[in-house]
Amino acid sequence: MAEVATGPLAALLDRRAIRLGETAADREDAIRRSGAVLVETGAVDPAYVDTMLARERSVSTYVGEGVAIPHGTLAGKDAVRRDALAVLRFPAGVDWGGEQVVVCVAIAARGDGHVALLAQLAEILLDPERARALREATEADEVLRLLKPVDEETDS
Amino acid sequence: MTTIQGSDIRKIVVACDAGMGSSVMLASQLRKQLGKHSVAVEHTPVEHIPADADVVVVHTGLAARARAVAPEKVIVPFQVFVGDPAVAKVVAAVKSGGAVDG
Repeated sequence: MAEVATGPLAALLDRRAIRLGETAADREDAIRRSGAVLVETGAVDPAYVDTMLARERSVSTYVGEGVAIPHGTLAGKDAVRRDALAVLRFPAGVDWGGEQVVVCVAIAARGDGHVALLAQLAEILLDPERARALREATEADEVLRLLKPVDEETDS
Repeated sequence: MTTIQGSDIRKIVVACDAGMGSSVMLASQLRKQLGKHSVAVEHTPVEHIPADADVVVVHTGLAARARAVAPEKVIVPFQVFVGDPAVAKVVAAVKSGGAVDG
């Protein structure tokens, strides 16, 4: 499975930013943890995390199938150092304004480097089987395989 | 309330706060669904809705801001990022004709 960790996806989704056994007390805690991973992996400055919370207060980032995509506001873009994602899985679930979130795909983006990956995530959300596989993933390789943009498959 | 016919739609803009998350995802879905039609799909922050947008698709929570920024545009609010009926209606209007109100 080593080949899945090459190419644009690997540059965007650092293996160290895939955390599959997380716990969070509530939605804010889950967002803070997601933001902390982006900070740890050098994708954003700590100030970004507050804009993630601000964004969540204006419109929920819940996107269906137990997945949320927390990210900052327009004002937060200055705190982004590079386009990057983090995947955090909360096996026990987190209450998200009445929805139950198991997977957070946290986003930091200045440009459009992450567009293909989000397109792939949308495809997963439209496919209940793949969505379940994402919610139940216990290996980083499984997450990378699921999120790999289809047009990247011939690159490796 | 503004109305546009599906056949007159040339550019759809998906607007959200930062233009980095949910709008990106929805725009990618629209591009895929409208691949055969000559309709441009862009995603932008709500404050930066381009002047040549024909339809602006925006989350319900940001619809008021979108209307303030682009009062003359057809604004289509949606609730769900993937598979929203309001968005499906826009796609259907482009594909098969019909009016989009917003």
